[in-house]
Amino acid sequence: MQRTAWLLGLTLALGGGEAAWGQSAPYMGAGASGASSAEVTSGNRFNPDISVILEGNAYWDDRDGEADELTGMAEGINHAHGGHGHGDGHGHGGEAQGFNLKPTELFFSASVDPYFDAFVQAVILDDGGVNLEEAYFTTRALPAGLQAKGGKFLSGFGYHNEKHRHQWEFMEQNLPYKYLLGAHGIMDTGAQLTWTPATPFYTRFGVEALQGDQEVVGRFDGEEAIEDARLNADLAERLGTPEDGPRLFTVFAELAPNLGYSHELLLGVSGLFATDHQELHSEPVSHILSGESWVAGAEAVYAYDAPDQYGKGDLKLSAEYLYAVKDLEVAYHAANPAAEGAKREFTEDGFYVQGRYGFAANWRAGARYEMVGLTNEKKVGKPGQPAEYDSSSRVSANLTWTPSHFTRIQAQWSRPRIATGDGYETANQYYLRYILSMGQHGAHDF
Amino acid sequence: MKRLLFSLALLLAMAAPAVAEVRVAATTTSMAMLARTVGGEQVSVTTLAPPDRDAHYLQAKPSMIRVLRRADLVLAVGGELEVGWLPAAVDNAANPAIQPGREGYFEAAAQVELTGKYQRADRAMGDVHPSGDPHVNLDPVRMASVAEALAARLGELDRAHREAFRQRAEELGSAVQRRLPGWKEQVADAPGVVAFHKDINYLMQRLEVPIHGYLEPKPGIPPSASHLSSLIRKLKDGEPGVIIRHPYHPRGPVRKVAEATGWDTASLPLDPALGATAEDYFGLIDDYVSAIAGAR
Repeated sequence: MQRTAWLLGLTLALGGGEAAWGQSAPYMGAGASGASSAEVTSGNRFNPDISVILEGNAYWDDRDGEADELTGMAEGINHAHGGHGHGDGHGHGGEAQGFNLKPTELFFSASVDPYFDAFVQAVILDDGGVNLEEAYFTTRALPAGLQAKGGKFLSGFGYHNEKHRHQWEFMEQNLPYKYLLGAHGIMDTGAQLTWTPATPFYTRFGVEALQGDQEVVGRFDGEEAIEDARLNADLAERLGTPEDGPRLFTVFAELAPNLGYSHELLLGVSGLFATDHQELHSEPVSHILSGESWVAGAEAVYAYDAPDQYGKGDLKLSAEYLYAVKDLEVAYHAANPAAEGAKREFTEDGFYVQGRYGFAANWRAGARYEMVGLTNEKKVGKPGQPAEYDSSSRVSANLTWTPSHFTRIQAQWSRPRIATGDGYETANQYYLRYILSMGQHGAHDF
Repeated sequence: MKRLLFSLALLLAMAAPAVAEVRVAATTTSMAMLARTVGGEQVSVTTLAPPDRDAHYLQAKPSMIRVLRRADLVLAVGGELEVGWLPAAVDNAANPAIQPGREGYFEAAAQVELTGKYQRADRAMGDVHPSGDPHVNLDPVRMASVAEALAARLGELDRAHREAFRQRAEELGSAVQRRLPGWKEQVADAPGVVAFHKDINYLMQRLEVPIHGYLEPKPGIPPSASHLSSLIRKLKDGEPGVIIRHPYHPRGPVRKVAEATGWDTASLPLDPALGATAEDYFGLIDDYVSAIAGAR
């Protein structure tokens, strides 16, 4: 009995603490001094908000199930890293014909205290493996429109980069991101600072310092790769250690003019710089290139919000352009030591444009066109023509039904046209995809 | 160059607060009406969602984030009505003063008693609000209570005008009390209404008008043919009343039910027009009352 009373007292004390944090029930009797600052919610605020997102598809293509692999075979400056059995988004094999389970996304988020919010996103792969994709904190109380973020997170570079799989309008990562940033986009460990000044129209500026653990931009093949390639040990020692982190830096800026309630236009530019980039190539003969790489991006997003309900009449268009440069030199050459120190400059760009339109309540149709390698060349540090690669493209269309706010059923057709180095190859891909979300009603970012 | 510097200086001048009024970001026009009525000259009010949109389904747009970045007070309907966008917009606004639990955060739903709480809720019931029906904006009596609480809050933010805020809220309360008997009298014995979505319940309870059903089979789920058929069967048994839809709701299902049952239809907004005063708000209640009364 005594213990019960004691526990009750403790509970009340904790409850009192809760009230001080403004997360308590409303004041009874409005008009109390200062009134309530509480948020009326069904969630228990001491537990994180949890959502679980299920995704799967039925897939068919006209190349005996190899079309997905084909999209990873486009020639270009990152060719050696284009495919390598990477599915889009979560590092596993591509689509098989028939049924596929896509990674199951888990989201946890909560306020830690008055100063920090925390967010965790993990995925469970269909083979049972777990990947931690994001685990970061953001600040709640910095002055002057500043916000800091720290941990592992999707970079603020570009527009599409911060979107999670379930927010993707199309099944696969777009080609410019896939080839110039990597299948996941830029997902790395580090710190971010953003500034949202109190300007008459929306502007936001951000900088990031990231460790640089990337597979495409700022990739570093390292000691293990050099030893695996059976090159000599002192080479591994000399070239196998990357610079101390952080080795990847980004800047981004965006603005949105005030266009009233129905229209929204977001424009942005981004830059990404990797201070230590190293590639080991075994073809035609073992050689190592090292130097720096950078990517510049521009984005434009337009949305029209129609007064109709259930998304009818809504339109959203987005486009991004990426321009990537690798500024390297030969650090080692097995057949020709004299080549060491020679420049190798690689340049490749790409863009996507996509749109979706709500043609009826809960129904929308979308289309996307992407291209990578409009500029696609390798310059060697001596007079002569640069080596040119061809560009690859893909066209996609989809139809989406959202019977409720928490379900998406999507049919998609894609037709990649890939320059593989021996001409062009095309395929037709057909998907039927579902995305279901359980748990906390996530808010909709723009 | 000189011109550039001049423009920059101008921009900075615009970014600085011009007068020491309380900047209120109201989510809907009903909330904006309260802020203007209670705050008077001492507040400047921006509305985030126009009345022709469903406040459930908005996105946290950059233009909203800009308004929230500079706001001293967020005035939300609350009760998870804006859950799809307001938390994200507040988080991105980098403005600590307006976080939930702080002085700059105010939900109408947190100031009054809510009905329609669920003991147990899951999404199979549709897009429900387990913490209670948040749509307090059409109940003038609850809105008067919210106005009192808002006056107290504005008094915290601008102590010099506490008394003025309190008085204006009191005036609103008396205006509501003066009008209520007339409204009730007009709709006494009215056959009742069918609503599209569960968002006019507080007003119907206040006016003691029965609700015979909803066009949506479940909250947030669009009307289905089978649901409409069973609604039609049910309505045919009684005296015809009026089906109320908001301008953003689809017309087709409403027409179908009306034609099959002989019920009237009325298209009435859930919130008053942009820039509405208390008079405009009462005008909106008048419109509801005449639509319900006209069905006799």
